[in-house]
Amino acid sequence: MILAAKIGLGLLGTALVAGGIVSSEGFVRVSVQEHRSGGTHIWLAAPAMAAPIALRLIPRRRLENAIDNAREWLPAATAAASELEKCPDGPLVEVTDRVEQVNVSKRDGSLVVDVNDPRETVHVAVPLGALGSSLRILAERATPR
Amino acid sequence: MKKVFAVLALIFVATAAAWAAPGERYLHVRVDNARDGQKVRVNIPLSLAAQVIPAIDNGKLRDGKVRIGNFQANGVNVTQILAALKNAPDGEFVTVEQPGQNVRVAKKNGVLIVHVVNTKGEKENVDVTVPWAVAEALTSSANSHELNVEAAIQALENAGDMTLVTVTGDRQSVRIWIDSHNDDQ
Repeated sequence: MILAAKIGLGLLGTALVAGGIVSSEGFVRVSVQEHRSGGTHIWLAAPAMAAPIALRLIPRRRLENAIDNAREWLPAATAAASELEKCPDGPLVEVTDRVEQVNVSKRDGSLVVDVNDPRETVHVAVPLGALGSSLRILAERATPR
Repeated sequence: MKKVFAVLALIFVATAAAWAAPGERYLHVRVDNARDGQKVRVNIPLSLAAQVIPAIDNGKLRDGKVRIGNFQANGVNVTQILAALKNAPDGEFVTVEQPGQNVRVAKKNGVLIVHVVNTKGEKENVDVTVPWAVAEALTSSANSHELNVEAAIQALENAGDMTLVTVTGDRQSVRIWIDSHNDDQ
């Protein structure tokens, strides 16, 4: 009985530590709500630390296209993510017209994008720490032309 | 006892001074388009711009500098002109009046002021206010065909709260300014 309790405690502790590590960099949150009747609502939350790990594991040939498209802007994007992490929270860009609103802001260490238009409402939050790590990995994997 | 109070007071003053030290500076852009009701608000921390601009290597912007083809047009050296204007007394330096457009360039209290009035077609008033330190930083590149944006942003970080550009027209209005607020209020 005592042995089972010890094993249980060990498993619980391991699960807690693993959970703590996985959520240490926060979560990437994506929400898409279609406004049409019967429209879908997609909600996704994934541990942000998975993104840099995934980028290291994806074969280079699969990333080549994305890297080629982003190559010129990778240093600027990496610098922006790194510097934005140090900046205080606040609105960065707001675009509003008669039918659509787009907001980009920094909130609780995440880059948050909200889009609201007649078709759908989109919310994306990406922790800046994980975003910076991911961009640095992409920059490392991008070989100079 | 008095010494202890004096030390405590000194620590308090030093802490208060540290809290009151200037924080993040922001570059704001506000565009209002009357025709389609579009509003654009951009609030960029200057420290962010200072890090990102040198990292951009695209088109005419490289190493924090923008290449301008005719910056030294007709043999006129803008850097030398700015150096001469810096020591000149306040006043109006250039006034161009032509049908449909008036341009006035002046220096006032260490600030370069450009005022343009368009009366032809779409009516538009443009006011540009540039602190000397920023104007000098912009033209500080060794290459006279470049504007040093990186140096200008560093100079802006030391400038006080001020409006840099206002454009007021029939269709849209634009305001660009710097202050210490993280929103456009």
